[in-house]
Amino acid sequence: MCIINEDTVLKREKKFYFDVKWLFIIAIVGFLLVFQVFPLIYLVIRAFISEGSFSLSSFERIYSVPLNWTCVTNTLITATLSMIFGVLLAFPLAWLVGRTNLYGKKLFRTLFLMTYMVPPYVGAMAWLRLLNPKVGTLNVFLQNIFGLAEAPFDIYSIGGLVWVLTTFYYPYAFITLSRAMENMDPSLEEASRISGASPIKTLLTVTLPLMLPSIAASALLVFVAAASCYGIPSIIGAPGKIYTITTRIVDYVYIGSDEGLTDATVLAVFLMVMALLILFISNFVIGKKDYITVSGKSVRPAVVDLGRWRIPITILVGLFALVVVIIPFATVFATSVTMNMGKSVFEPGNFTLKYWETIISRSSILRSAQNSVVSAVWAASLGMIVCIIMAYLLKRTNVRGRKIPDFLITVGSGTPSVVIALALIMTMSGRFGINIYNTMAIMVIAYMIKYMLMGMRTVVSALSRVSPSLEEAAQISGAGWLRRLRDVVLPLIVPSIVAGWFLIFMPCFYELTMSNLLYSNNIKTLGVELYNYQTYHSQQTASALASGILILVAVVNFALSKLTKGKFSI
Amino acid sequence: MKKKILACLAAAAMTFGIAGCGQSSGTSGETGGNTNTNTDVSGKIVIYTSMYEDIIDDMETALEKEFPNLDIEFFQGGSGTIQSKIAAEKDSGKLGCDVLMVAEPSYSLELKEAGILHPYNYSETDKLVFDYDPEGYWYPVRVCNMVLAYNPEKYSKSEVPNSFKDFAENTSMKDSLSMSNPLTSGTAYSSVVGLLDKYGEDYFKALGTQNVAIESGSVALTKLETGECKEIMVLEESVLKKREEESSKLEVIYPEDGCIAIPSTIMIVDNKYSANANTAAAEAVEEFFLSPEGQKLIVKGWMYAVRSDVEEYPYDAIPLSQLLENTIPVDWEKSYKQREEIRTKFQEYVTVP
Amino acid sequence: MSKITLDHVTKKYGDVTVLNDFSAEFRDGEFITLLGPSGCGKTTMLRMIAGFEKPTSGEIRIDGVTVSSADVFVPPEKRGLGMVFQSYAVWPHMNVFKNVAYPLKLRKTPKAEIDEKVRKVLGIVHLSQYAERMPSELSGGQQQRVALARALVAEPKVLLLDEPLSNLDAKLRERMRFEIKEIQHRLNINVIYVTHDQGEAMTMSDRVFVINSGVLQQVGDPVDIYRHPSNQFVADFVGKVNFLKGHSENGRIKLEGIDDILDYSGELTGTVDVAIRPENIRLVSGNAHLNGRIVSEYFNGDVNDCRVLTGDKELRVIAEASTYGKFGKDSTVGLEIADFLVFPESDNDYRKIMT
Repeated sequence: MCIINEDTVLKREKKFYFDVKWLFIIAIVGFLLVFQVFPLIYLVIRAFISEGSFSLSSFERIYSVPLNWTCVTNTLITATLSMIFGVLLAFPLAWLVGRTNLYGKKLFRTLFLMTYMVPPYVGAMAWLRLLNPKVGTLNVFLQNIFGLAEAPFDIYSIGGLVWVLTTFYYPYAFITLSRAMENMDPSLEEASRISGASPIKTLLTVTLPLMLPSIAASALLVFVAAASCYGIPSIIGAPGKIYTITTRIVDYVYIGSDEGLTDATVLAVFLMVMALLILFISNFVIGKKDYITVSGKSVRPAVVDLGRWRIPITILVGLFALVVVIIPFATVFATSVTMNMGKSVFEPGNFTLKYWETIISRSSILRSAQNSVVSAVWAASLGMIVCIIMAYLLKRTNVRGRKIPDFLITVGSGTPSVVIALALIMTMSGRFGINIYNTMAIMVIAYMIKYMLMGMRTVVSALSRVSPSLEEAAQISGAGWLRRLRDVVLPLIVPSIVAGWFLIFMPCFYELTMSNLLYSNNIKTLGVELYNYQTYHSQQTASALASGILILVAVVNFALSKLTKGKFSI
Repeated sequence: MKKKILACLAAAAMTFGIAGCGQSSGTSGETGGNTNTNTDVSGKIVIYTSMYEDIIDDMETALEKEFPNLDIEFFQGGSGTIQSKIAAEKDSGKLGCDVLMVAEPSYSLELKEAGILHPYNYSETDKLVFDYDPEGYWYPVRVCNMVLAYNPEKYSKSEVPNSFKDFAENTSMKDSLSMSNPLTSGTAYSSVVGLLDKYGEDYFKALGTQNVAIESGSVALTKLETGECKEIMVLEESVLKKREEESSKLEVIYPEDGCIAIPSTIMIVDNKYSANANTAAAEAVEEFFLSPEGQKLIVKGWMYAVRSDVEEYPYDAIPLSQLLENTIPVDWEKSYKQREEIRTKFQEYVTVP
Repeated sequence: MSKITLDHVTKKYGDVTVLNDFSAEFRDGEFITLLGPSGCGKTTMLRMIAGFEKPTSGEIRIDGVTVSSADVFVPPEKRGLGMVFQSYAVWPHMNVFKNVAYPLKLRKTPKAEIDEKVRKVLGIVHLSQYAERMPSELSGGQQQRVALARALVAEPKVLLLDEPLSNLDAKLRERMRFEIKEIQHRLNINVIYVTHDQGEAMTMSDRVFVINSGVLQQVGDPVDIYRHPSNQFVADFVGKVNFLKGHSENGRIKLEGIDDILDYSGELTGTVDVAIRPENIRLVSGNAHLNGRIVSEYFNGDVNDCRVLTGDKELRVIAEASTYGKFGKDSTVGLEIADFLVFPESDNDYRKIMT
């Protein structure tokens, strides 16, 4: 009487229902193996083998250089501090924007995400102009106001580097955390309030511990992003002689010799190991504390009343947005319309739209923008599919080795861009049967390797907040795997999917380092154009292009939000 | 397939037609585009170059006119990017290009030794005023000139050093100087090799004492403009470009102890490694770039020509002959052989905190 | 109507045996309750029937069709069962109607038919007027009924319920018991009900399976289980009980610490465990064959729940409500034992595993 096809089963032959999810999982694991593991392993093995035999000599050589150890230390310090500050900033901001009656929440949310839409190189230049100790605009301004003899800030320091890295990468944490906040069961907080805890006490004793998995996830993102970032330390660090592993790697790579490549790989291995270590730690932190906060019981989202603190806190958040977002953006924008950067943009004759004309009139820019959109959409969409399925594998199955794809994705992100690109060139240009060199595919794959972690962490933390019983309910209702993924799992984590997609899309859209090594004439991207303006010695054009990107993304986001009635926006 | 054969036949027929008019195109005596078009080269070639993109646009137009049947594709990038790309491609057994117009002779020496290059016998070597490979593996094709630059809107010329020596030794300049990284930039490396030869290790020490910022030329120029830097060591072309295109007031100082004129080379990739195995076309293109016609395009890109018979010189610059009167020579053999050693030395004195 | 057969089903997680060699047959139209303390393996059993877990060994058949065995595994979505989860698992992104209609949609039921069936089942669970509401706008009890409606809508022959009432308030819980029972009758379906609440098990089930530590303790109808528990655990878990040690000899049992003698016609001799249900002790004034004094008493409305110290043992006695306050504290009362159970001696402390 049950709906099993009796003819087939009654025969009592060996029969397992083929589960389509394994097809997907195997396909994706295969994809990761071929396009990520193989190239990176090839590169690492290559570093181990000198003159045909296995040896650690290159490791010994590289790690015996004292400067390299300084770089390791600098990277650890700056990335760790950026991670700590990033999360410390993002957590209260996410709470305020996501769970309280702060004024202008929507505006703030958009502002906090803006930083993410600017290429780090352009943003770093803006901070350099604001805070350099000699003529930094902000420094001079503060000196004049307070009558200081010396500039209060020196951007060319560890502190300066941490500051810029933090302001650039806290949005990772903000996005991850604010999604998690919105999904939390408010009764848990209410229970704390009723027990006599103030909102702040509740935040610290209930919300914070409950958010631990998401906090660990976002900390991992910030750390890996800061540690493997090249643009910012190369601009902010180099003048103050603060070198990081990435700047060192690029030094080695750009030597352009075989040995340089090997040396770079050897250093890169350190970054990969570091990323893994952090993943282990964050997994350990989450470990047994994997709370499920979206249960099968539905609850109304609650808003915390800030009471008399509402106005002061809004002002405080506003000030933060002013310093961290608006001022640097204004600087980027002002740069794009300044003829002579030695003078103020307001001086007569110094205002110009020439650079905007340049970027609008160059036909190649439009083509490149198109290529960038296409390749970033591919990377983000394919990347999210990989992330969703691998997150599912990790969170919803108990296959041995289900954590491996997560590790692979983390290692990929921890690997400096330049190393990824070179590994792909070496392995994907026909020598091993796959030739995708000089096609858009190789770029998309490079982007995915580098940025998938952003999507992966977002989805994993979203999925760990959805009770498995919701999916089981669909299963017992008769839904197959794809069906329940579509009908139940995905809709429940859709905000996180959108956020993750955007987190992958944006950096791919203006990606510079890998694109520059992998592009061919017909697949030039915006990153390549940006790089050109960088080497063209035109800050202004680069700034105009970055402002253009920013405006474009903001408009698209606004339109999307309007069209979907606020359901889909960043 | 059929189309290709037809195209070849057509090209052959046209060659005959033109040959009948007394042209012997493609031979080494030909100086390229000043007379007529080279229709006998066809197919495709890819050129890796570190030249500015907008002069590449001009070159593409000129090359199209010169070689109507040849599909020429440029890949433009910084010399570091291109060199690392080539290193990776070398590992995979095949390069993505047929012609290289990148970096300085010491890199050419390296590629030559690696057996990647194809020799070509250029007939007008007597016109070249810079070093070239006697076996024809590489020729100079453009000259990047390392100079000093300052911002007259912030400081006067008398306030800033007027020689490379003073650049390193004038203590009033401490913390206000910038130069490119010899680890990543070929021209910066060549420059420090020249300066090392001329002044010895003390020069590096002095640079270290000055606390010279080691950063990309673009950042340095911005700092010069904002006044954060008083003087920078930079390629002349980048300043000239800014002056012509942005009416920038930044000024070049031709150092009293000599400019460092760094020829950048053109090379043909051997068939075994090249992307399109189109040696004939590669040779014709090399021929064109070395011709006075091709050299004029280089000059438009704010770089100096390599031929004594090209009168033109870059916008706002000085004639080539005048430049050559006072230069600091660079020993290419040494710069290739002792690269690791010199880089390490520079790091020790200047880069390491 | 359906028949479910569990054939030597064992489930292990690593070295931990959650369910050991479990065999049972759930017959057509039966209301089966799997009763036991949490962690006893009852939910695992239910999840194996549903197909969310695979048995380590053994076989599960539904209507003679093997759904789980060493070489057959039918996934949950192909088993055609209905299930209500402890957390309800109502999808928060779908309204009530869509939640309930979902199983029908999967079966490609025509729209009009879906409409009709959903309306009908919502009527059964008294949610007709809430069809357009989102789950977050419903109370816990309403959400629970949405889950029930969803499980019933496709007319499964077997309905699995995993502690569905544990999150409800007492009043609602009691009402839902009868509603579920009534729905089962009306639709004539098999129900497998997992609970740790013996009250639920007693009132609803045709047969109760008492499970402890992965081992089946007793199967029987509620009365049987209550009256004739097969061991101390069942006696203790189902209903309330006072345990005393005693010595059986020549048809008599001497109670330890009380020094009282009970007549006993059973076969056990030597040291035994005697279990006396509190409601089987009557409070009488004056002397009876056991005497003691009241230590505390709680008025429960329908009964007087009191503790009586006799010898050096404290006994729980559930007496008639009218006895409340009748005897002064510390005054001597008589106790009459109407019925008791005797088990072979065991050192296990059954209270420890109580939840």
